[in-house]
Amino acid sequence: MSEVSVRALTIEYQTSAGWLPAVADAWLDLRPGEITGLVGESGSGKSTLALALLNAVPAPGRIAAGTVELAGVGDVTRLTGKQLRKVRGGALGYVFQASQNSLNPLKTIGRQLLDLGRSHEVADLRALIARAKDLADRMGLDGDRVLDSYQHQLSGGMRQRVGIVFALVLNAKVLILDEPTTALDMLSQASVLDIVRKVHDENQLSTLIITHDIGAVSEIADRLAVMYGGRIVEDGPLLDVLRRPSHPYTKALIGATARITGDVDAARALPGRPPDLTTVARVGCVFRDRCGFAVETCATVEPVLAASEDGRRRACHVEPSTVLSGASGTPAAVGEPA
Amino acid sequence: MAVTTATLGASPRARRPALLAFRTAVLRKPGRVVGLAIIVLFALMAVAGPWFYGRLEIDPDAVYAPPSAKHWLGTDFAGSDVLQEIIVGARYVLGTAALAALITAVLGTGIGLVAGYRRGFTDSVLMRITDFILTIPAFPLLIVLSTVWDFSSPWLMGLVLGGTGWGGMARAVRSQALSLRERGFLEAARGLGLSTRHIIVKELLPNIAPYVAMHLLLSTIAFVTAEVGLFFLGVVPFSTTNWGVMLNQAVFSGGALESPDALFYLLAPLSCIVLLTLGIVLFLDAVDELFNPRLRERA
Amino acid sequence: MIQARGITRTYQTHGAFTGAHAVPALRGVDFTLPDGGAVSFIGESGCGKTTLGKILTGLETFDGGELVVDGVELSGLSARARARYFRRIQMIHQDPYSALNPTRTVEATLGDPLRMRAKEIGGDPGKWRERAAELLTLVGLEPAAVLPKYPHQLSGGQRQRVVIARALTVDPEVLIADEAVSMIDVSMRLGILSLLRDLRTRLGISLVFITHDVATARYVGDGGELHVIYRGEVVERGLTDDVILTPVHPYTQCLLSAVPIMRGLEEPGPDRMAPIRALDERTATPGCLFEPRCPFATQECALTHPTLVPLGGDGAGVGSAAVDVGDLGDGAHVHACLHPAARRVVGVEIGAASA
Repeated sequence: MSEVSVRALTIEYQTSAGWLPAVADAWLDLRPGEITGLVGESGSGKSTLALALLNAVPAPGRIAAGTVELAGVGDVTRLTGKQLRKVRGGALGYVFQASQNSLNPLKTIGRQLLDLGRSHEVADLRALIARAKDLADRMGLDGDRVLDSYQHQLSGGMRQRVGIVFALVLNAKVLILDEPTTALDMLSQASVLDIVRKVHDENQLSTLIITHDIGAVSEIADRLAVMYGGRIVEDGPLLDVLRRPSHPYTKALIGATARITGDVDAARALPGRPPDLTTVARVGCVFRDRCGFAVETCATVEPVLAASEDGRRRACHVEPSTVLSGASGTPAAVGEPA
Repeated sequence: MAVTTATLGASPRARRPALLAFRTAVLRKPGRVVGLAIIVLFALMAVAGPWFYGRLEIDPDAVYAPPSAKHWLGTDFAGSDVLQEIIVGARYVLGTAALAALITAVLGTGIGLVAGYRRGFTDSVLMRITDFILTIPAFPLLIVLSTVWDFSSPWLMGLVLGGTGWGGMARAVRSQALSLRERGFLEAARGLGLSTRHIIVKELLPNIAPYVAMHLLLSTIAFVTAEVGLFFLGVVPFSTTNWGVMLNQAVFSGGALESPDALFYLLAPLSCIVLLTLGIVLFLDAVDELFNPRLRERA
Repeated sequence: MIQARGITRTYQTHGAFTGAHAVPALRGVDFTLPDGGAVSFIGESGCGKTTLGKILTGLETFDGGELVVDGVELSGLSARARARYFRRIQMIHQDPYSALNPTRTVEATLGDPLRMRAKEIGGDPGKWRERAAELLTLVGLEPAAVLPKYPHQLSGGQRQRVVIARALTVDPEVLIADEAVSMIDVSMRLGILSLLRDLRTRLGISLVFITHDVATARYVGDGGELHVIYRGEVVERGLTDDVILTPVHPYTQCLLSAVPIMRGLEEPGPDRMAPIRALDERTATPGCLFEPRCPFATQECALTHPTLVPLGGDGAGVGSAAVDVGDLGDGAHVHACLHPAARRVVGVEIGAASA
């Protein structure tokens, strides 16, 4: 049923203090026709998780446990060499941030497409270019002009769209976008989100959007998965999660987002700052230091990601109803602010 | 060498942070330790060598003798010990290179920084001077000067080499300063009203320091080669402990390229040059880390 | 108190083959910033708002118009005297990492301007450490934890707070926040925004808030004015809430439409819209600058250049008096459109009483 199934995935990085987990025991499903938003602050491990879907975790990281099952292919984490290269691009399309220079500055876009085709041993390169032009046109770009341009001649929004073209030109069924709207202004952001939804619907893809902006992704996502300290703490249909968040972190995140509607004074910044690899708690719940609902168990027992209602999962010791209704108290231990 | 965990929590600074950073950076890779050891070895030779040894002994019976227990590297054309000559000669080589490097660093960095930061008229004037210096052919100039001046003291040679060699450094530092100028923290420093002197010395300089240090170490190699080369070509004055002269004698008088007799006489100074260059290059690796606080903490 | 009138800035570029080319970055911007007040500028990238920020801090010159700070017209002063005025206006940059010297600790970064300031006002330079601790606490950081650190050891939010603390070392009267929260995680932005709001109420510092994210402009405190800039021109301005809830210029409406909707919590405005094509600086626009992209453009729009008029009139001046410079600063809602029309483009909270 799922196009991509992530099961018990743990990814570690080597540091001077030994191997530390950047992602711990992650479970995630990407289903056909669904856009999933993976939301987390910096250091939550979301980008690492996304790279693991391509088995592209950079050194000094490694996948320590778990599997990434891709429908029709098998466990991506076990693939190497040519098989892996085929999957990357052929089955899984990955789109980088517009601000990252993931396009070769010395070659035109068209030439890079040809390179892509050749390394995937595409027989008909002409058809590949035609498909790329078609995709570009549907995204509001001038296909011919873009193919003849160098990356510095394109604006941030255009580069983002070119990235999407590259990801889909080989007919991948899974699309992964890493921070597609960061570093773009409002108008470009809106058009990129619009295009992602359109392209997703037209091709019935399984799409994963990784972002720290819960507001932006909520415009187009069908499901929401929230990450904190390397763990997935909540997961479920977008409307349910936003209306009735069942994890204190999700609730705090929604409350900390600057919004165009609503009461300005009701917004509350999250206290403290997010942990990273070296500072994340090793015992108990990773969020307890900043949690207004923490109880005794939270300090000693790590909550497991378990099904709560239909189609929803959460990792928390506190009852969902308490989280939903209660105003949060002062967190137990507040570190320096962000 | 185990490095304590660099956590992101607060840690009190070590009493001598610079020394500690130096030690950590150098010990991180064995190559750097070797490089530093070589440089220190030659420095010791330069400083202590001539005091250690008295006058060179001449032994007419053992001309171009092969290495033995008495003469580890054999003897030269007059029977003097080659090893002794090498060690004593280190002073000239390192002395010249050090002075030339110092002049290049001070003049090149200073002029480059001021020109790059000030821009406008100051920049034009300083760069014209720099261009003039760059067009001076140092090597031929030294050959001509050696007919009038006495280069038996390393300081004079160092002065001329440095005085004609700072142009490249000035240009390079200037372009670094120009690009750094637009960085947020420099704009902020200007906006806060901090003096130009403060900005150049405290804000700009630490950021170009690694670049300057590397450039400097590399030009030291060039200076060494230049002066040895000069003496190899026969620039007077003659001195038996001068590495270049030794090479000259080995090739032209001792026929080192034809017969095996003077081989060690030839190889000794040559190997020293190679060894010194190697030492500098190996140590170069530590320089970036020394000046960049971010790199110091990597696992 | 800052008054800007008709600020104009044009860049001259000389291409090797294309010849001289003039790029107008600002085409006559007016605004008044009262003491302790806040003025926000919104627009897409390249609209000139960053240039405006640089002009206000003295990093850039302007070609036309006048800048009056506390009643003193700056272009009449010598460079030195001007520098003294600009010192009272400090900039908070977008990128907190490049805004701090990576080779210096927070202590060193704060120490130099503090000592300099102490000498200036005749204070005791030896007491700078206490002042540094005071400032760090004011911006919400713990001095002992932060002073010995280098910038790369701090999080983005912390760095931005250090940048703000540094700006406060010279006791400024105005802070220019140029996309100050754009490079910080969304979840941490509110902390910085409330800090800016606090500085306004506690220290009476005025704020010029430059951003492309309209929502953040709501959080900088009461009484703020919102100015919408398009290609160097202000096309609409007024009190922040007025402009957000009842925009009349199509460009403002496009910007507000672009704000993402949190489905489940909000519903999109019924009149949501987008520009009909991308910005192309090469097309000539003798009339309204926004005309090539405007979904409601008419023939008239391509020929007449609208000027700012109060609500109730059109940009040609028909229907109400033209804007008088004396009116600036009172938060009046003005716009520059020949066919202004109120449209509901902003999302509506589900279940809330209508705004």
